Amino acid sequence: MIQMKLCMVGSFAVGKSSLVKRYVQSIFTDNYHTTVGVKVDKKDVVVGSETVRMMIWDLAGEDAFSRLQTTFLRGSAGYLLVADGTRAHTLDVALELQRQIEAALGQLPFVLVLNKDDLAPQWEVDRGRITALERDGVKVFRSSAKNGHSVESIFEHFASLDSLAHAS
Amino acid sequence: MLAGALGAMDLVVLSPEFDGSFRLLSESADWFRALTKEELKAGSHIRLEEVSDYLDNFLVDARAFWARDRIGRLRSGPWVESAVRGSAWPFEAQALVRNGVAFLVIEHLSEAYEQQVKLLQVARNHLLNEEVLEREVLKRTAATRQREEEIAIRLLAAASMRDAETGSHVRRIGLFSAAIGAALGWQPSRSADIKIAAPMHDIGKIGIPDGILLKPGRLTDDEYRTMQQHTVIGARMLGGTDIPLLNMGCEIALCHHEKWDGSGYPNGLRGEDIPIAARIVAIVDVFDAMVHRRVYKAPIPELEVLETMAEAAGSHFDPRLFEVFRSILPAIREICGTVED
Repeated sequence: MIQMKLCMVGSFAVGKSSLVKRYVQSIFTDNYHTTVGVKVDKKDVVVGSETVRMMIWDLAGEDAFSRLQTTFLRGSAGYLLVADGTRAHTLDVALELQRQIEAALGQLPFVLVLNKDDLAPQWEVDRGRITALERDGVKVFRSSAKNGHSVESIFEHFASLDSLAHAS
Repeated sequence: MLAGALGAMDLVVLSPEFDGSFRLLSESADWFRALTKEELKAGSHIRLEEVSDYLDNFLVDARAFWARDRIGRLRSGPWVESAVRGSAWPFEAQALVRNGVAFLVIEHLSEAYEQQVKLLQVARNHLLNEEVLEREVLKRTAATRQREEEIAIRLLAAASMRDAETGSHVRRIGLFSAAIGAALGWQPSRSADIKIAAPMHDIGKIGIPDGILLKPGRLTDDEYRTMQQHTVIGARMLGGTDIPLLNMGCEIALCHHEKWDGSGYPNGLRGEDIPIAARIVAIVDVFDAMVHRRVYKAPIPELEVLETMAEAAGSHFDPRLFEVFRSILPAIREICGTVED
């Protein structure tokens, strides 16, 4: 069995834990439950003829009380940079974290996940900004942990055979 | 007795061996048996690789810490294993060195972790509430600003009924001024103010008699003095409020005919005594009037205009601001292309 470590990174209350819960347990709860430290979840997926055990590290959200420890990303096949589409500044936080990770560990595969797509009318993140990021080569997903939109595809993106090459 | 005390603290103590394994120094615990899937007793040896992904990661740092052989401790930070018999168990590990001996302590955090979660939950809920309030304040500020702008635009519309200046001229003046503000690194709200305030520079002309304002020929000295009063009238119209947009409009209306060398009017202000917003408008007003057609003159080529204005930088215009204006000419041309007469 191939093992693949993925990290969830982003500001607090953007839905990192909810995305993991939706992906691993197909559950969503509306209440916000903060994460302290790191929560590690596992999910086995079959890619082609291989079974991949995904080790998903849900890192505590970034804020004044909690700072990202880049050593947590050691050995990762990649990371999910999560922002909340309804809170524009969480995208700034996410992009700053990406810079910190790159400075500490070099280039690691990542995707930008703009969560809370179910609240699209309340979105603050500018469409032009998303397009500009995509133009710069950033893979962007709009997701909803609440209704499950795009959640499988985000993790499948990493579990694809291309990503496995990075993981091995 | 020591083992009992350690058991009560819900932790296990191990020491690293030279072959990479660990020796259990304390009694095992239910959760440690579940984690390692092994029945262990004090003194047992165990390999910890693949017991926990998080612990594996921490052991990289822990081994480096032990190798330094200094007194102290390295904490892993709390982590939660969610796949232990379907439960979610919080742990924290510590690497210690005491009397030259290395230890690994793994603690089941239980209630201490719940306390941490509760505290952080309260703090973060507070931050989220603050964010919501801040967003509401921003929304209301934007609504107030929109109303102020609407009033300013109505004022401008009233003034334009008596002024020969084109609507596109005054719009461009606002956009040019805002572009200079942005190039100077102004806050977006200040640049937004000048975008609306600059077009009001000639608003005082509303108080100039028709016989002078609309006179086709040259003004007499007396008429010219009356005409100069449009600056003071405009300032009186816009002043006396605590609205930043109108205050800036007041400064611009009063001072846009002042000159850098002090030879302007109405007060003969000099250099930086002239408010910066008025110095900006002095530049863009002249530039726009010269490069565009007027009933009394053909448009003058941009290069010629810039040469003429460059000669006046330091006497009529603030030389530093004129350089900033020149540095953003591509943006100025773009505005001219967008807002045509």
